[in-house]
Amino acid sequence: MRKSITGFLVTSLLVFVLCIPPAVIAAQKVRIGALFPFSGPLALLGQETFNGATIAADMVNDKGGVWGKQIEWVKGDGVDPKKAMTECERLISVQGLRLIFGTYSSSRSYAASEVAERNKVIYWEQGAIADPITERGLKYLFRTCPRASQFGIMAADFANEVIAPKLGIDPKQMKVAIMFEDSLYGTTVGGNAAKHALKLGMKVVATDSYSHKTVDLSPVAMRFKARKPDVIIATSYLEDGLLFWRQAKEADLNVKAFIGTGACHGMPDWAKTFGDEANYIFNIDPAIGINPNVLSPKTKAVLKEFQERFNKKFGHLPATHASLGFVGARVLFEEVLPRAASLDPEAVREAALKVDIPKGGTIFGFGVKFAPPVHPAAGQNLLAHPALMQWQEQRMWVAYPLDFGVRDPLLPLPTWEQRAKGVTRFVK
Amino acid sequence: MLATVIQLIINGLLLGGIYALISIGLTLIFGVLEIINFAHGEFLMLGMYASYWLFQLFGVDPYLSLLMVIPTFFLVGLAVQRIIIQPIINAPPLNQIFATVGLSLVLQNVALFFWKADYRTVRTAYSTLCLKTGGLMISLPRLVAFVLAIAMISALLMFLKRTYTGKAIRALAQEKRAAMLMGINVYRMYQIAFGIGIACVGAAGAILIPIYYAFPTVGALFVLIAFVVVILGGYNSLVGALIGGLIIGLVEAFSGFFLSPHLKEAVYFVIFILILLFRPTGLFGRG
Repeated sequence: MRKSITGFLVTSLLVFVLCIPPAVIAAQKVRIGALFPFSGPLALLGQETFNGATIAADMVNDKGGVWGKQIEWVKGDGVDPKKAMTECERLISVQGLRLIFGTYSSSRSYAASEVAERNKVIYWEQGAIADPITERGLKYLFRTCPRASQFGIMAADFANEVIAPKLGIDPKQMKVAIMFEDSLYGTTVGGNAAKHALKLGMKVVATDSYSHKTVDLSPVAMRFKARKPDVIIATSYLEDGLLFWRQAKEADLNVKAFIGTGACHGMPDWAKTFGDEANYIFNIDPAIGINPNVLSPKTKAVLKEFQERFNKKFGHLPATHASLGFVGARVLFEEVLPRAASLDPEAVREAALKVDIPKGGTIFGFGVKFAPPVHPAAGQNLLAHPALMQWQEQRMWVAYPLDFGVRDPLLPLPTWEQRAKGVTRFVK
Repeated sequence: MLATVIQLIINGLLLGGIYALISIGLTLIFGVLEIINFAHGEFLMLGMYASYWLFQLFGVDPYLSLLMVIPTFFLVGLAVQRIIIQPIINAPPLNQIFATVGLSLVLQNVALFFWKADYRTVRTAYSTLCLKTGGLMISLPRLVAFVLAIAMISALLMFLKRTYTGKAIRALAQEKRAAMLMGINVYRMYQIAFGIGIACVGAAGAILIPIYYAFPTVGALFVLIAFVVVILGGYNSLVGALIGGLIIGLVEAFSGFFLSPHLKEAVYFVIFILILLFRPTGLFGRG
């Protein structure tokens, strides 16, 4: 009997504690939802992106927080798009959150932001690059990072502005071959690269798509070899990108420049697999190793602090994903929330639309200005753009846009025969 | 143009050799035990990892690692047959599918747990070596895979034709009840056949590691093609698996070049459907 009374008391106490409305807790803290794939196949980079964001929160909290309150993250695990939706729903209805920060993965972002919009809750996206995310006219969605189409467009621009003059070819005579894996990512980037190259008057001699699950890309290498392009623009995931470069060597396919657009060609695996054969390849991604002259003095200090704090907390220097998380969070905590005075979504929206950070104001070098609701890309940071890098000495160096560059691009790409003789080995 | 066509034939045959290589074990297991091993791709993945780790930890060349991989995988095959396959050998097909699909999921996740989703490959001096003759390119590791596929099939055929165990396995594949009446230890033979099948796919993994990458789901990339090849070859014919592999390889090389790389999978699946419609026993199958 005694036992059951104690049990009853404990249970009722528990019920009582659980019934305290989340708003009561919220009064002391600024609670932000963090929706990322924290488990499953994308967990590694999802966690890394969130780690970057936590540094932005730490930096604000150490200075007294926002409105004198500390920022607190409430995590939601978006293992897959469906789970991202239910987790988003949970963060909003059970936890009572009014701002969701996420998501790194485009498919998860696309799904979860619908839930936020339905609940009139702000969805702050900082790492998912698929164009359609900001093409739905959502009112409460904001995205700080660049879009996939910009990667393809930048590849064509670089071929036109830099490669053609450096090689002494008239851009109108330059032959471009475009290859891309056939999911949404590849078709968006590759399609835009082809469209933009044609607009610039270049000769697009091949646009070949393929399934990234294929175990043989020799047909692509053979087709390109038959059409003799000067430049290849490629959008690949890791396994297919590595397979193609191997089979390009087997086919003795030689071109004057090879531009990758994110994913495969910017990963450490690229250099790990090919060693010196990775050198001379271009890749497009948001980059933090840009020319420091682009950054404002304040941003330079922020970058330094970010790198030091990140290294101290996680034991390595931040790369692209962590930096995307950091930039997204910093814009939110430093520029938007102080102007909004509360987490009321309408107030946050208005504050976000007033943000106007010039070039050099983020660690990526780009500024921030969100497209208004009437814009076809409503909520998109219109000033965001990636950068183009080249592998030299098995490391990536920014080369474009020109004022962002730290090293001159090396052209042309040596032939396989020259590579065998060690041309791509950088001897010091 | 002629050079291109000859090069395409070379590429197609070399690719077909790889397809035949991964189909040998599947054909044997399907032909004898009449079980569809959905975990086939995962054993290929384990073969790749085995060879990869032998190289990383002890510097064993992938081709040399075959000497260790083949006996180990034979024993693994015996154990898996005893524990998982034997109890379901007379079960309805649906139960058999559940058991092997379950095994494939377990193996994938075990690999993910121990080795993460990283892509791993072995960089040897010959990994990207090419033989050049008259403007034609022949990738050395692919040529080795092709030759070893033919060697493995020849050795298996000899084994099945010449030895008592081989003859018993063939008898079993032809007529189980009659084989039992002749005093053949059916379960023992099932176990050996399964062991050899797993040893073959383990060997295929080791042979492929200089060309491809090991990661937990790599099996899925190959297993679908292996099924197409086995059905095209006639379910239980090793020669059929070789010819079937070469046909698919050639179809892929030519359709990829002349049509579009995007459509090459579609083309061989169309062929697959046509075979099922007009010759459901496959090219070399018995009715």
